[in-house]
Amino acid sequence: MTDVVKGSENETAPVEQPGTQTPSISQGDVETVPVLTNLSRTLGKRFFELLVLLFAISTLLFFLLRLTGDPAAVLAGETGDEEQLELIRKQYGLDKPLIVQYGVFLSKVAVLDFGKSLANAQDAMGLVWERLPTSFTLVLIAFSANLIVSIPLGAWLGSRPDRRTRKAGSAFIFVAQGIPGYITGLILIQIFAVELRWLPSIGNQGPASWIMPAITLASFQAPHVIRVISANVSEAMREDFIRTARANGAGFHTLLWKHALKNAMMGATALIGIQVAFLLSGSIITEVIFAWPGLGRLLVVSVQTLDFPVVQAAVFMIAIFVYTAITLTDIVFLFIDPRLRRQRA
Amino acid sequence: MSMVAEKESTASNDAAGTPILSVRDLVVEFPRPNNTPFRAVNGVSFELRQGETLGIVGESGSGKTMIALSILGIVPLPGRIIEGSITLLGKRIDNLSLAELQKVRGNDVGIVFQDPMTGLNPVRNVGSQLKESVRRHQHVSAAEATEIAFHALDDVGIPAARDRLKAYPHELSGGLRQRVMIALALINHPDLIVADEPTTALDSTIQAQILDLLRARLDKSTIIMITHDLGVAAEICDRISVMYAGRMVETGSIADVLSGPRHPYTEGLLAAVPKFDVRRPTLVPIPGQPPTADDAITGCSFAPRCTHAQSKCNERPELELIDGRPVSCWFPRPGAAG
Repeated sequence: MTDVVKGSENETAPVEQPGTQTPSISQGDVETVPVLTNLSRTLGKRFFELLVLLFAISTLLFFLLRLTGDPAAVLAGETGDEEQLELIRKQYGLDKPLIVQYGVFLSKVAVLDFGKSLANAQDAMGLVWERLPTSFTLVLIAFSANLIVSIPLGAWLGSRPDRRTRKAGSAFIFVAQGIPGYITGLILIQIFAVELRWLPSIGNQGPASWIMPAITLASFQAPHVIRVISANVSEAMREDFIRTARANGAGFHTLLWKHALKNAMMGATALIGIQVAFLLSGSIITEVIFAWPGLGRLLVVSVQTLDFPVVQAAVFMIAIFVYTAITLTDIVFLFIDPRLRRQRA
Repeated sequence: MSMVAEKESTASNDAAGTPILSVRDLVVEFPRPNNTPFRAVNGVSFELRQGETLGIVGESGSGKTMIALSILGIVPLPGRIIEGSITLLGKRIDNLSLAELQKVRGNDVGIVFQDPMTGLNPVRNVGSQLKESVRRHQHVSAAEATEIAFHALDDVGIPAARDRLKAYPHELSGGLRQRVMIALALINHPDLIVADEPTTALDSTIQAQILDLLRARLDKSTIIMITHDLGVAAEICDRISVMYAGRMVETGSIADVLSGPRHPYTEGLLAAVPKFDVRRPTLVPIPGQPPTADDAITGCSFAPRCTHAQSKCNERPELELIDGRPVSCWFPRPGAAG
């Protein structure tokens, strides 16, 4: 009986999915798949895509260096004479045919070997690894701060959007959305480091020095999240299922937190996932403002000094991070949206 | 179908004299900017006794759903009840505080809405939505609530009810979802069930199943059945009230109203219903449209569409007893005799 009914349900049940969700694999197969199969399929697909992406990025990095002219001249800098150039060509294998160079480069990239930094002869990938935890600290704190503030605030603003306080709040968020992060950072430094002298403004000197960079980084992103959650919550609060819950005696807080917010988060998760993906690259400005010894600042300095091996290693690492974040978002979707758990795959 | 834990009518009003629900002169108004407020319900009164099923019949916009929402105190803003009283089990419920009202909703009064597709939260499973209502109104453990939810689903004829507790709404067909909605309305054994077009959004075969389910409940429950479908009303109601433009124009036992309508609007409604057992050349539509909020009508609301209207109809007719049942018409139809 169960199976028969189930079969007919799959005919009639609407397979509506919010347009923001990506991980559906439509291959016309009609059977439903349980969450674990779905999960492994998603992961497998993403991993394959990541490999393709990394190959493309490596190729791009390789040829970009060659496009700028004679790489030996770039590597030698302005002061290099012909003798030095010969030396560099030999050292980096630049005297070999391009296709051979490309093959050597790829085989080294495969084992994450980007060569040595031109600035201090340290292993380029090693430098990146060294900076990664510092950047992650900042990214993680900023991300948590963003969610801790954005979810309740968005829900509050969206729950009764017609109230005067909510209107004022929404207007403020709208303005805040337009303030560039570096302005926020500079204002924070002026107030808390220069005037009040409460917080250090430079480098990583323990928890107190995390506050301003994290707020700056979060302030890039929080207004967008707040606005999306607020809009989604106010829409969800008008849905029929809210009326059903209210008709069964649910109070305002049950309606908001247990019924509306979960629906609202489905749309917001897509945005949050994309934001996480770009947190690491977005932290570049913040790291420069606060002289934060992270990956972003390493990248900026390396670009300025034409330290190509380090630039290549850093870009490679950021690409992996972005893709991991996007994959995690897909997995989060599998868990928060029941409609994706057992779908036609 | 096992009827587990069917609540005995412990209320003091099972005596035939006292009504379960009494609505008096209910007026629901929607303010409109720069305009006179729109009266969605305009002075409606009715009573329900223990075990009775009252059908409220009317076209879209006649105010029937607003009556349902008024009883639960969930008239959507900016609408509100500005006059009248609603008394449930001898207690006024239209002027309760929100906290007290929340104890009535889903506990003393259960409601089944029209559209089962959107009426359940898509990201929460069926069991959690049922249990939420159980634990709000009954002091039971989580495990007991699960049992109650299981029996509620089982009682409304949902196969494999134990597994279905974990099902999400999108995994259920429309008919099953409406059964879940009915289970939700019944789960705390309310004294009054309000069914607002419970079959309108369903296929006709599923409609019949849902009506069977409701009919199985009739003897035990007091039900207000809101519908635009006279056929549905005829199947399960004891009495029906016909609504037009926010007013009840005729009330009577189902047999009396269907066989001998006294109000011209009721007569028109009946003429517009297809029948298979009566030879009739064509369906007769009621000419014109129901009045909109902007139509200022001082007299009988139906007069502009009524083929029997006369100058007297510019005054508003009050409900008067005609052959023992209330009808608001200056020139009532002859009824069965005619």
